[in-house]
Amino acid sequence: MSDIERLNSMLPNSLSVEESREKGILTLSVGPQHPGSGHFRLIIKVDGDIIVDAEPDPGYVHRGEEKMCEYRNFMQNIPHLERPVIADSCSILYPYCLAIEELLNIEAPRRAKFIRVIMSEINKMIFELYWLGIYGIFLGHSTMFMWPMADRELLIDLAELASGARVTHAYFVPGGVRNDLPDIFKDRAVRQLKYFRNRLNEYSKVFYENPLFIDRTKGVGILSREDAINLGVTGPVLRGSNVPYDIRKVEPYDVYDELNFDVKYMKDGDCFARAYVPYLEMYESVDLILQALEKMPDGPVRAKLPPNPKGKVGEVFKRVEAGRGELAYYVISDGTQKPYRVKLSVPSFRAIPAMRKLLIGARLADMPAIYWGLNYWPVEADR
Amino acid sequence: MSSIEGMFKALEAGSKHVLIKRFTLFYPEQKLKFVGDGYQFDPKEGVGIAGYRGRHILFHDKCTGCQLCSIMCEGIAEAISMVKIDKEYKQNKKGIMPQIDYGKCVFCGLCVDACPFYALFMTDDYELSAYTKEHLIYTPDQLSIKPNYKGEYVIDINEFGATHKKDIK
Ligand code: SF4
Ligand code: SF4
Repeated sequence: MSDIERLNSMLPNSLSVEESREKGILTLSVGPQHPGSGHFRLIIKVDGDIIVDAEPDPGYVHRGEEKMCEYRNFMQNIPHLERPVIADSCSILYPYCLAIEELLNIEAPRRAKFIRVIMSEINKMIFELYWLGIYGIFLGHSTMFMWPMADRELLIDLAELASGARVTHAYFVPGGVRNDLPDIFKDRAVRQLKYFRNRLNEYSKVFYENPLFIDRTKGVGILSREDAINLGVTGPVLRGSNVPYDIRKVEPYDVYDELNFDVKYMKDGDCFARAYVPYLEMYESVDLILQALEKMPDGPVRAKLPPNPKGKVGEVFKRVEAGRGELAYYVISDGTQKPYRVKLSVPSFRAIPAMRKLLIGARLADMPAIYWGLNYWPVEADR
Repeated sequence: MSSIEGMFKALEAGSKHVLIKRFTLFYPEQKLKFVGDGYQFDPKEGVGIAGYRGRHILFHDKCTGCQLCSIMCEGIAEAISMVKIDKEYKQNKKGIMPQIDYGKCVFCGLCVDACPFYALFMTDDYELSAYTKEHLIYTPDQLSIKPNYKGEYVIDINEFGATHKKDIK
């Protein structure tokens, strides 16, 4: 059986038009004009308020990122590659830089590796807070929208201090980072992160122990361990289904093997677990940054490169753990100044089969909880 | 844990914030302070200098009209075009300098990295709104003006919470 057939056999069959008419089933189109789904359409069929069929329809914001890469040199690719996820722009650029470094045969200086770890963890938190805020507002909890957005501002200021831009940092380059951290960075980062850790404790009281939130998410949209593995989900969704799998541990890149951290996971596989894993990971991120700031050596931050470097002929595959899961790049070079082919494998796209699986049989009111729990980011999925 | 207990916990955690100073920054009256004078690049070392990436600043006495910035931006946003200038500079034989269209620029700063003559940097100025698209196009003369952005507020964190305060120095 091919992979596609196997995937199809795991999912229920679609209903035909005649069948739905007979049974009095209503077809609804959720999206694509951003009704909380992002620029993404979900065609759902409901019987009463039970969803009997769901068909995710991605592609509305396809930008041809992969094709665009073929017409630009290795440096010029940086700004447009971070557009798919501006809230997590360092993480989406990270594997690209690792891949191009291998093609150009250079290595980033040690200090740059630490800075990259720090920035990618800050970005991961920025993304998770944004996501948490939107998750909160879609479950009707507006305090949980305001709080993460305000605390996110602190982290954005921190990222801005290092990179000079608020969201699209364009900070990582093949060969290290663009500029060194300013002197006041360490001091401010330590102060802000300690404050942020206290705030995370308050989140638990207002959100995760709140009966309003628990009732909406506990036992809703359960994804079993087997399904999670077979449907190919990654990141917090996978870890929420009792699979402790994290690229930072499995295939450590840069200096992650020198830092201490645990892979956080939950056993239940429901929406609550998927929302709780990123929360636990934010604690880990704070610890990781504090550790990296302590261990960071002095030295250069960018390897010298000629202005328009040529890659060696070859293929590279690199992956990192982003805020939403595993982000991988496959780059082929034919020895010119431009990549021959760049393939992005993004975590959001891989959440689509699971979305269909979880939505079928759920109540319509649970749709936002399930949808946002999967950490789906339409622009990234469409690339 | 019962529902009632959870409700009270949430209310208690939330109500504490009535007494805490707000985090909101009153933007046009208060502006954030940035580190440095904007993003700069040192071509000799091949590494940038941290700073905010706002509008560019062009030093007329250094720009040679080599077009490297414009070639870099061609693959990014096509925001830079080279235009004729009236004045004559002896290092600039061709008499051309970059003109930047801020309707297209994405503020990546890679043109600054491409300039080998310390002629193009970025500044703290991010207030670039205009009434028409044409007003967003900055000519070499406009680009040479140093902006007077005055950011004075910094984030203040103490045991009661986070807020902004004026930086006294
Ligand atoms: S900052 Fe980027 S987009 Fe703007 S002019 Fe320079 S290279 Fe072009
Ligand atoms: S700003 Fe720099 S890169 Fe651009 S034309 Fe002038 S000298 Fe050349």
